[in-house]
Amino acid sequence: MQLAINIAVLTAIYALIACGYVLIYRVSRVLNLAHGELMMLSAYLLITTASLFSKTPFIALGAAIFLSLCVGVLVYLFLMRRMTGEMVLAAVLTTVALGVLLRGLVVLIWSAQQQNPAQALGWVNHSLPVFGGRISAAGAALIATTALVYVGLFLFLRFSRYGIRMRAAGQNPLLAAQRGISLHVIYALAWGLSTLTGALAGILISLDSGLDSTMVLIGLKAFPAALVGGLDSLVGALLGSLIIAAAEVLMIYYVDALLSDVVPFLVLILMLVFRPWGLFGTREELDRV
Amino acid sequence: MNPLLRVEKLEVVYGRAITSIQGISLEAHKGEIVALLGTNGAGKSTTLRAISGFLGLDDARVTEGAIHFKDNSLANRPPYLITKLGIVLVPERDKVFPNLSVVENLSAPVATAGANRKRLEEMAFTFFPKLAELRGRTAGLLSGGERQMLALASALVCGPELLLVDELSLGLAPVVVEDLAQRLVEIRDKLGITILLVEQNATVALSIADRGYVLENGRVVLDGDAARLKSHGDIQEFYLGGAGERRSYRDVKQYRRSRRWYG
Amino acid sequence: MSSREPRASGYFRSSYAQGLRLLETRTQWTALVLFLTALGIFPFTATSFQLDLACQVFLAAIGAIALMLLTGYAGQVSLGHAGLIAAGAFTAGILFKEFGAKFWITIPAAAVVGALIGLIFGLPSLRLRGLYLAVSTLALHFIVVYLGGEYETKRGFSTGILIDAPRVGDFIIRDRKIWYFVLLSFAAAALLISLNLLRSRTGRAWAAIRSHETIAEALGIGVPAHKLLAFVISSSMTAVAGALFGYYRGFVSVEAFSLFLSIQYVAMIIIGGMGSLLGAILGAVFVTLLPYVIEYAVAQLPNARSYAGMLAAFNYAAFGVVMILFLIFEPQGLVGIWRRVQNYFLLWPFKQKPLGGGRK
Repeated sequence: MQLAINIAVLTAIYALIACGYVLIYRVSRVLNLAHGELMMLSAYLLITTASLFSKTPFIALGAAIFLSLCVGVLVYLFLMRRMTGEMVLAAVLTTVALGVLLRGLVVLIWSAQQQNPAQALGWVNHSLPVFGGRISAAGAALIATTALVYVGLFLFLRFSRYGIRMRAAGQNPLLAAQRGISLHVIYALAWGLSTLTGALAGILISLDSGLDSTMVLIGLKAFPAALVGGLDSLVGALLGSLIIAAAEVLMIYYVDALLSDVVPFLVLILMLVFRPWGLFGTREELDRV
Repeated sequence: MNPLLRVEKLEVVYGRAITSIQGISLEAHKGEIVALLGTNGAGKSTTLRAISGFLGLDDARVTEGAIHFKDNSLANRPPYLITKLGIVLVPERDKVFPNLSVVENLSAPVATAGANRKRLEEMAFTFFPKLAELRGRTAGLLSGGERQMLALASALVCGPELLLVDELSLGLAPVVVEDLAQRLVEIRDKLGITILLVEQNATVALSIADRGYVLENGRVVLDGDAARLKSHGDIQEFYLGGAGERRSYRDVKQYRRSRRWYG
Repeated sequence: MSSREPRASGYFRSSYAQGLRLLETRTQWTALVLFLTALGIFPFTATSFQLDLACQVFLAAIGAIALMLLTGYAGQVSLGHAGLIAAGAFTAGILFKEFGAKFWITIPAAAVVGALIGLIFGLPSLRLRGLYLAVSTLALHFIVVYLGGEYETKRGFSTGILIDAPRVGDFIIRDRKIWYFVLLSFAAAALLISLNLLRSRTGRAWAAIRSHETIAEALGIGVPAHKLLAFVISSSMTAVAGALFGYYRGFVSVEAFSLFLSIQYVAMIIIGGMGSLLGAILGAVFVTLLPYVIEYAVAQLPNARSYAGMLAAFNYAAFGVVMILFLIFEPQGLVGIWRRVQNYFLLWPFKQKPLGGGRK
């Protein structure tokens, strides 16, 4: 039972991160390889807001999330906007460079020591009993948040006008512009939403298990989850996360703990060889790149 | 009366090297259907792109001349702002969002300021009743004719004053083309929308247009009323497939001598 | 071709054989001789620290040239270059530790292992393009590094494998000066091999594949074979660089082969300029020296002491900034700047090249 709970929590983590990759890729065909770093940045922002609003943890939380949203929009406005129209690969490499830059900045500003935002907020991460296993409070929050985020995103993309425009811009940016949709607004929105979900993931993970630069690796491991499901599908991201998380937890439990960092990539390679566009992805993607 | 759209001595250069059109001037008055004719490479699409603001993507620039729409200059405006001014393009291909349903295709466009969106969407369905039956269908699964209908309908939702239609007839059966052409006339009559129709198929274009321009090698070589163009000998021979017998190149030369130059 | 229009002064080819020559003019010969002399004299005037820098540059240059062949010429993006370097270093280390193998066995062995891994790295490229390929090489990087780490822990070398200095007979390569010449000759060999590959049928096939795969196939180029070849040659070269790296450091450990190393190599070819061997070398010099420049700059800051522990962070940040600046403002890289300067002088006193003439 504990195993199933572990899988559920890890699935939630990966899914929450993976939807950030999916959002940006779906709209602009760019892989944001700085997603892990942006996520880490959000968690560090929480450290700062926690020290500013030490009495009111929820305000600190809200402020950190809001700041992360701003960071995402700013990244688009000042960096990625210049890369629209360039080769997709150049844009991807720009995100890689951004990631390297953020990694340096985070250490410069907050130092490389392990931090504990839960403590800074004055929260205790209780361990709760469920179905004969145990789950940490932050873990439960993770699962709830992921569910909320996915339902929210689904409703947004399906029924709201901006959601529909976002899907439209992803399919045919030219036509979208002809129909009066401002691509820059849509792209900035996608970046904002993506960092927002990333921030939720980063903050909840740091509340669960502390915060240091290894968080980038978690972000990177969620990427196979997004790809296995198909980079432009939210349902795919969810299922991909489940597959990757299950493979990882079971491998660690039955085979070797050292494998944990490799398993997602092994699954990824298998997937790429047999079905490169992922479980739910659109097949034509391959030729567009 | 001032024309709705006025293009003056337009010159467009691709990649700072290749001049695509030179000295093109044309006008479209309110409530007119204007046809822009010409063979491949005559500069029709470039003219259309210059008007709709899509030159920048192909590394092309308007180097001379001006485009005026209701006293606004359109030079160097991003496409979505041009749409907001009331000029909407129905492109040649990729004209619908393939993974969105018909309804979603109609709700994605941004309407011009002050337009009554509800009314526009209803209007789209009254002009194209067939779309109402296909509401939930994914646009990628529509047939060519249905797709063209959807493209026109979703352009209408933007609430345009000037509709630019690129190759209405491309890849469609003559019956469908005729039907669509009648819809365009209807749209003009009921909504007073000006239509600029770019076509290779001169027969269709001249049958519904009030006036027309003939482009060749990046220049306007002929213009005038549709009736006048239809009866013009060169048009008959080169675009309408009339005149029957083959002629020698010497006569072609004569044709070249007879055409007028503008700009 | 008539040449009535005014054009740049300079050298113009008049036959295909001339186009194939590596050195075309006397000026180029003179420049090469001068450059080689300078390289030859350098170790006798340089300090030990400068020699170390030069050796690092040579090692990086081999890797960068190999990556340039793959990415810059054949157009196959790889984000797993560090994995290949690791593979070479571990081949040398393991062969040395387990079998006491000699220098002249481990280096070719590294080349063979590199070629094999290249074949495996290359297989996904038959089905994948662009981003997806980059991702699959990224995945392979993690797998190679994992295997290396696994070896280290299982055999109890958790701090890394120590390798003795290579010896040929009684002669031990330990002195920096000797290392300098060894690495220089390896780098020169890598450069020559690449130059020759690129002016042959293979090089042209790669260029065709990079431009458009389907058209290349239609022109009768064996696309899969040439793609695999690019992977094999590039990986083999990189693995040799990795083995040399292991010997030069005297020590192999997985920590050295992080993802950041891969990013550094990609940065080299971007900063240097895609599609140019000169670019690979310039990029290798730039990226290798950048940390030292930053270290120097940080040392100049007020209360430099307090920053000493954050040097790595400064490195990361500066590296990211430089890469972003190049990507946005100078996508042609250092070579682009170099060419502009060169053209400026070639065309002086004119400002622009006339259409359809001049040199590349």
